[in-house]
Amino acid sequence: MKGFKPSAPFLLLLPAIIVLAAVVVLPLILSLYSSFTPFRLTRPETFFVFVGFRNYLSILSNADFWWAFGRTVLLLTIALNLEMLLGLGLAMLVEKATRGQRILRTLMMFPMMFSPILVGFQFKFMFNDNIGLVNNALQSLGLTQDAIPWLIEGHLAFIAISIAEIWSSTSIFAILILAGLLAMPKEPIEAARVDGCTPWQTFRYVVWPFVMPFAYIAMTIRSLDVARAYDIVKIMTDGGPAGRTELLWTLVGRTAYSDARMGLANAMAYFSILLSIAFTVYFYNKLAAARAQIGAEW
Amino acid sequence: MDENASARLTRRALTVAHRVGLFLAMLLIGLPGIWIVLSSLRPTVEIMAKPPVWIPQELSFDAYIAMFSGIGKGGIPVLDYFRNSLIISVTSTVIAVAIGMAGGYAFARYRFRGKSGMFLGLMLTRTVPGIALSLPLFFLYVRLGIIDTHIGMILAYVALNVPFTIWLIDGFFRQVPKDLAEAAQIDGCTRWQAFWQVEFPLARPGIASAAIFAFLTCWNEFALASQLTRSVNSKTLPVGLLDYTAEFTIDWRGMCALAVVMIIPALTLTYIVQKHLVGGLTSGAVKG
Repeated sequence: MKGFKPSAPFLLLLPAIIVLAAVVVLPLILSLYSSFTPFRLTRPETFFVFVGFRNYLSILSNADFWWAFGRTVLLLTIALNLEMLLGLGLAMLVEKATRGQRILRTLMMFPMMFSPILVGFQFKFMFNDNIGLVNNALQSLGLTQDAIPWLIEGHLAFIAISIAEIWSSTSIFAILILAGLLAMPKEPIEAARVDGCTPWQTFRYVVWPFVMPFAYIAMTIRSLDVARAYDIVKIMTDGGPAGRTELLWTLVGRTAYSDARMGLANAMAYFSILLSIAFTVYFYNKLAAARAQIGAEW
Repeated sequence: MDENASARLTRRALTVAHRVGLFLAMLLIGLPGIWIVLSSLRPTVEIMAKPPVWIPQELSFDAYIAMFSGIGKGGIPVLDYFRNSLIISVTSTVIAVAIGMAGGYAFARYRFRGKSGMFLGLMLTRTVPGIALSLPLFFLYVRLGIIDTHIGMILAYVALNVPFTIWLIDGFFRQVPKDLAEAAQIDGCTRWQAFWQVEFPLARPGIASAAIFAFLTCWNEFALASQLTRSVNSKTLPVGLLDYTAEFTIDWRGMCALAVVMIIPALTLTYIVQKHLVGGLTSGAVKG
């Protein structure tokens, strides 16, 4: 690599840095500043009043906020774990199939093509208590007489949202884990079988360590985009009923645009940004560790 | 013989279980899409019917015809939204890919200090939730007077796409052996020529799929668009979908039809790039 000016990579990265600085970093600094003011959109002069940590303190004592925060973490934990498990199962089912691999793989990617807003809308339609597919099916099969209020009762709405979220993102895990399974050399599996491993042992100690980096790639990609659940929730329940499905992101949106309290909303937004960063850094490190473990070059 | 027979039986049972499992999984995946397509073709009376009508009595394209015949007849200005979506998505994709190519090349071909920190830093800008970013952007755009304009949306989407585009393109350039470009340089190419004549053509399918991925991100984005657009000047299709729910009643059929219109380009494009996409994301995950 000698003979090249050391500044070449930085010149190449410069456009990316400029754009990101202008559209992401600069606005974030602005929003950090305004999180220390009582800024309201309707009263521009409040932008220059400095109130220190008052917004943050009022968040800390705000029960609604902590409910939303806890609910967001719960949703992410449930969704990511189930997506991982279901994705693994789906990938193994498809890998085992002897015929129609191409069609199966295309079908498997089907949910990836849906924008989150469409996912939210179609599940809102399907879970509609009156004309939705789910209730219609349950009633036609005679499993229940009543219309189950899927999106109207708090817990059921949370379940419905989780289902929508899992439906839309399982395929990312499945497709990447499948790529791992297909890239895997067959000899170690045969060797393990010859040495008398049970199928479970073969999977646990031979297949899984190999597939793990691929699962972490999927996790990293997902964590870059965890906030897409905002679109789904916004459409399906808009945080309702009575705030029972309010997530961090919908709460930020409501505080900022409906209540016009930008300062407070920016303070909340910083919590959500830190949450996303924590997820991403965590999985990124896991990914690097898993890659190092199987001796891949980074 | 008995052992053989039972082993054969177990194997057959497993095969059947596998088939059934696969079928059920695919049914669950495909069902919502099928239901939407079906609902967009059925008259509203049938969608609303109690008890439900399972077998469609009549199918028609009325919802699509109404949608594309303009305001007043279809209710919402779909054509305007469609044009906005297309202009914003295409422009920001082109810019994001140009920037991403420069960045991806830098990561794939050079060693420099703070490289992995830099990479992570770029990725972290992508993690900022759209709704959190929309607050300061909304404020800035109002000040700059570019709220509800194409320029504003394009700028935001370029920034949204650059990190991921760099990741993908970095992966594709890694798959092109370094020796090829070096050989070209020994034969007298400049680095610039070597890039365009040797490395770029080899990485082109990958770059194309990165472009399609960026396009789809713009095409589908909602959180930013819902706050930074106001009117038919710049509203995109995902925001337009909400027009059907603005009233107390929801026009399910019209919404389904618009959903189908939104999915079809996404479906086609994803189908084209699926192979490259996985390759780009996982390159470097395992040797060879």
